[in-house]
Amino acid sequence: MSGSSADPTSGRGGDASDDLAGDPVDPADDERGRSAVRDRLDRVEDPELARSIVELDYVDAIDIDGDRVEVRFTLPTAWCSPAFAWMMATDARDEVEGLDWVDEARIELCDHMHGEEITTGVNARDTFGETFPDADGGVAEVRAAIADKARVSTQRDAIRALLDAGVDPQQVVSLDRADVAVAGDEAHVDLGGLSVVVDAEPVADYLDRVETSGHVTAGDDTLFLTPEGDSIPAERLDVVQKRSRLASVNMGGQGAVCDALHRARHGPDGPDGSGVSYLGESGEYDGDVDEFTSTWTLDADD
Amino acid sequence: MYEMDGEEIFVIDGHVHLWDARQENIIHEGGEQFLQCFYDYHTGFTPEEEQWDIDTYRHYGADRMTEDLFGNATADMAIFQPTYLDDFYDEGFNTTEQNAELAEEYPERFVLNGSFDPRDGEEGLRYLEHLKEEYDIPGVKLYTAEWRDDSKGWRLDSDDAFEFLEKCADLGIENINAHKGPTIRPLNRDAFDVKDIDDAASSFPELNFIVNHVGLPRLDDFCWIAAQEPNVYGGLAVASAMTTNRPRKFGEIMGELLYWLGEDRVLFGSDYALWNPDWLVDQVMNAELTDEQRDEYGVELDVETMKKVMGENAAELYDIDIEAKKRQFRDDDITERFDLGTHYGGDAGAAAD
Repeated sequence: MSGSSADPTSGRGGDASDDLAGDPVDPADDERGRSAVRDRLDRVEDPELARSIVELDYVDAIDIDGDRVEVRFTLPTAWCSPAFAWMMATDARDEVEGLDWVDEARIELCDHMHGEEITTGVNARDTFGETFPDADGGVAEVRAAIADKARVSTQRDAIRALLDAGVDPQQVVSLDRADVAVAGDEAHVDLGGLSVVVDAEPVADYLDRVETSGHVTAGDDTLFLTPEGDSIPAERLDVVQKRSRLASVNMGGQGAVCDALHRARHGPDGPDGSGVSYLGESGEYDGDVDEFTSTWTLDADD
Repeated sequence: MYEMDGEEIFVIDGHVHLWDARQENIIHEGGEQFLQCFYDYHTGFTPEEEQWDIDTYRHYGADRMTEDLFGNATADMAIFQPTYLDDFYDEGFNTTEQNAELAEEYPERFVLNGSFDPRDGEEGLRYLEHLKEEYDIPGVKLYTAEWRDDSKGWRLDSDDAFEFLEKCADLGIENINAHKGPTIRPLNRDAFDVKDIDDAASSFPELNFIVNHVGLPRLDDFCWIAAQEPNVYGGLAVASAMTTNRPRKFGEIMGELLYWLGEDRVLFGSDYALWNPDWLVDQVMNAELTDEQRDEYGVELDVETMKKVMGENAAELYDIDIEAKKRQFRDDDITERFDLGTHYGGDAGAAAD
C-alpha cells in the first residue's frame, strides 16, 4: 500500500479504515500498524522531563509504507538541546525498528534549528560526534546525567512508602538491593527476618531508575542513596527526601515551560492542527485554560 | 506603588530589557530564531488579551517601555539586564549602550547593569572599566551559554572568568547576574549547568550572584548550591510568568525557593518585554500556595514576604533607599508624566490629611 499519514494519537474513535477489517494478519496496515508504532514510541522519553514523547504530543505523523516507517516529530522550541533531540530521534528509530515487521525506520525532526543535521545523521546511522564534529563530549554522559536525575526524583516516593509502612529511618538507609523484591502489586521488604509489604509501584519505579543509572546493580549494593550517590546517614534522611522532592519539582517546572512553548508554537490543537492530542484521552479541550493545564501537566506530584 | 490589603509595596522589577530585533538588525538566522523563541515564551505565558503582535515585540521602543513599566504604577523602579548577542544582531540585541538611552533619561527610576565576556580577554577588561567609568554600573549580566567563533560557551569558575570577577570586585561591581536557563544554541554542552556558580560564589564572597530564572531547568542544583552559599540569590524571571496558567507550579517553585534560600534571597523580575509588569505584578501578588503546599513547605506568600521579594531584596543588593525613593518619586519626571502623585503621597495625595 502507499504511504498514509495520520495523527498518531487518533484511532480510538472507531473510525479505523474498512480495508483493515478483512485483513487482520498484516500488522503493517493502517491503524493497527500505526498503533503498534505508537506503542513503541510511547517508550521514548523526553530525557529532560522523563515523560513519553507520545504523551507530550511531540509526534506529528507516522507514515507506513510496507516495511518502512517514517516518523515525524517536533519539539517545543527550535532551541531544544540538540543532544536531547538526538537522543529522542535515535531512541524512536531503534524502538520502531524493534517491531519485527519493520525493516527500516526513518525519523524526521521538524522545525528545529538543527533539524536537518539531526534528521540526516540519525537516518544515516552516524554518531552524534560525526554529525556535530565540533561538539564537546558525547551523548552518553548526557544520558547518564539525566538518568541520575530520574533516580533522585523517584527515590522519595519509594522511601515514603516504606516510612509510611512503619520502617524506621535507620532501617531504610541500611537496606540493600537484595532486601527488596517486587511481586505483582506488592513489594516485599526484608528487615532481617521481618517482612514488610508495601505498594509495588513506587518501589518498582525507583528500582527501574536506579538500575538504569547504574547505581544499584548487585544484591549487596546499598538501595537508597544521596543525590551524590553515597549512602545516607539516618539523620540526613529528611534532607535527602527534600532534595528528592526538589528534583521532582524541577522536572515538573521544566515540563510546564516545555508544554507552554509547545502550545504557543502549535496551538492547543497540536502540531498537525487535527485537534487530536494527548487530551483526547481525558476529554476534549474546551478552551478552559485551567482545565487544559491541569490535565496537560499531570504528573506524579499532581 | 502596588497596594495590597492597605499595604504599599515598593516594586523593583529586577529584570528588564530594551531590545531591537527588527529585521534590519538581524545578521544571522540565529537572531530570528532567538526572537521567535522569545515570542513563544511570551504567548505561552501571557493572558490572551495582553499578548502583543510580533512586530511590536521586535521593537517596542523606549517610550512604550516607560509607559508599560511605570504608567499604572505597578513598578516603581526597574533593573536593566543587557544581552549582547553580537553574532546575531548587527547593533546588538539589548546592550548596555541601548539600555542607557532610557536609563539616562530617568536615572532615578532605572538601575543600569553592564556585561562582560571573559573570552574578550584584555579588551574585555578595558571595556568593563569603560562601562564602570561611563555608567557607574553596579552589576553585570552574563550569558555563559553564548557562542563565539569556535567557543560554545564559558564557565564562571574558569581562570579567565575569575580574572573578570576579580576586576568586578576591584571596581565595586558587586552584582553578578548570571543567565541560567533557556539558552542560546546549546549543543551537547549542558548549558543550563549552574554548578560553576558554586565555586565562583565561594571564591568571591564580596560579590552577589543572582541566578536568573532560578536555574530552571536546574532548579534542584541551584537550590542546593544556594542553600550553602549565602551570597547566591534567585531571580524569578520566567518562574513568575507561570502564574498565568501554572499557578500550582509557581507555588511549588516558590515553596522550594523559600525553603532552601529563605525570603531574603528571592527577587522578582518580569523579564520585560517577555512579560509585562503592568499585569504580571498583580498576578504574582495574588498568587497563593495551596493548603497542601503550605503544609509541605511550611512557608507563606504573605505581605511581608512579598514585600521583600518584590522590592526590598533588590533594594538591599543595589543600595536603594526605598523611603528616599518614595519621597523623590512624589514629583519626579515619571510621576509628572503619568500623574502618579497620589501613589507616593505627593501634592495631590497625603499632603494635609
